[in-house]
Amino acid sequence: MIKFHPSEQHLFHYVTGDLTPAMLMMVGTHVDMCPHCQNEIQHIEESLAQKVFGQAQVPAELTEQVSFFDGESMLASIMSQTPKRITPVMRQDVPNELVLEGKRFQLPGTLARNQHRVGEWQKILGQMWRAPVHVGGEDVLTFIYMDKDTRVPEHTHKGREATLVVNGVFNDERSEYRDGDFIFVDDSVIHTPETRHEDCLTLSALDAPMHFTSGLSRLLNPFSSLFFK
Amino acid sequence: MQTVTTPKLERKHMSSAQPDDPDHAAALLALVANEQSRQAFSELFHYFAPRLKAYATRQFGNEQTAMDLVQETMTNVWNKAHLFKPDRGSASTWIFTIARNIRFDFLRKNKHRQHDLSADELWPVLAETNDSLDDDYALDDDLLMQQLAGYCESLPKAQRTVIELIYVEGKSQQEVADALGIPLGTVKSRTRLALQKLRELINSDD
Ligand SMILES: [Zn+2]
Repeated sequence: MIKFHPSEQHLFHYVTGDLTPAMLMMVGTHVDMCPHCQNEIQHIEESLAQKVFGQAQVPAELTEQVSFFDGESMLASIMSQTPKRITPVMRQDVPNELVLEGKRFQLPGTLARNQHRVGEWQKILGQMWRAPVHVGGEDVLTFIYMDKDTRVPEHTHKGREATLVVNGVFNDERSEYRDGDFIFVDDSVIHTPETRHEDCLTLSALDAPMHFTSGLSRLLNPFSSLFFK
Repeated sequence: MQTVTTPKLERKHMSSAQPDDPDHAAALLALVANEQSRQAFSELFHYFAPRLKAYATRQFGNEQTAMDLVQETMTNVWNKAHLFKPDRGSASTWIFTIARNIRFDFLRKNKHRQHDLSADELWPVLAETNDSLDDDYALDDDLLMQQLAGYCESLPKAQRTVIELIYVEGKSQQEVADALGIPLGTVKSRTRLALQKLRELINSDD
């Protein structure tokens, strides 16, 4: 059961496409995994469609902008095309599996469709690996894999961090997070994610490099941009 | 020049039911999908195109871009009406998501960003896949269409019809049930039996 969901605002802007590429991937992947949010998305789409198309008449203030609408010639030109019908539908299996350290992970649809964007895996600390996901934009989208019994040094964020559990379990001071859980923290939060008896594959979006605060900080901080950027 | 945005002229084209009635809009899309009905498409166009243009003009603040969005959206409605699945939402929601995808790609192209996501990768609204099938029913990747056609010959007629409607015409199982006037459960069991039989035939050939 998924306990942590994106905010209503995240879902809304996912529907309109007005999030950063990294956040679109994060929210989209959560939605793939979460029937509750799939339902929300459907409601948002319906209400937006209602807003755009629902009026019995196009409101006057809009028709004023729409000064000239050559509908008939456009209509004719569209209908002069022959619809491409009866496409043989053989299921083209999208490669939806990620293999890492001998383990196989099923990827939700959004990630599976974008698997070609996943860069090379690198070991970062002890039992942690990361791979960038190249989606453009200012944010940094990263796969992070932690083997069991692994701890991320305590850190704060200069910006905001969203984390999504793709597979497995991790804990921090506040809770336990499992498949599909979506966690959004801002720069006021200090936390120490760790895995215990299970490993964990997460997807993380950062809008600024992490800032480590623990005893390891001196060691790590110069590298944090390497790790997470 | 006709201005279809004026309510008076717009009304003139309408029958009693209007495309803002979800059932009527879905029926019109089905007519476009199955018969390439020009009349049904014209009715959809006269309703949706001016509203799309109003939406797009507000979004882009540019009339030419807005017209491009209208044209691209309505072209997809004409060409891909068969991908509309009435059990997943209303016709206007489907058209809205097509327009949303086109808007997203327009904005992306304007920024010239190499790595940016495409709308299809995020929201596969117009993907030509048949994801209404359960995984059990998925056929192996390397199975060729022609090979399949050959094997289909040896299926019982009832199973063959179901397989053709699903895999060749891309209908959902619910649509097949509706089209043949048989229960959904029957479509599912025929599909399962047929695929089982096909797998056996293919394996015995190896
Ligand atoms: Zn959710």
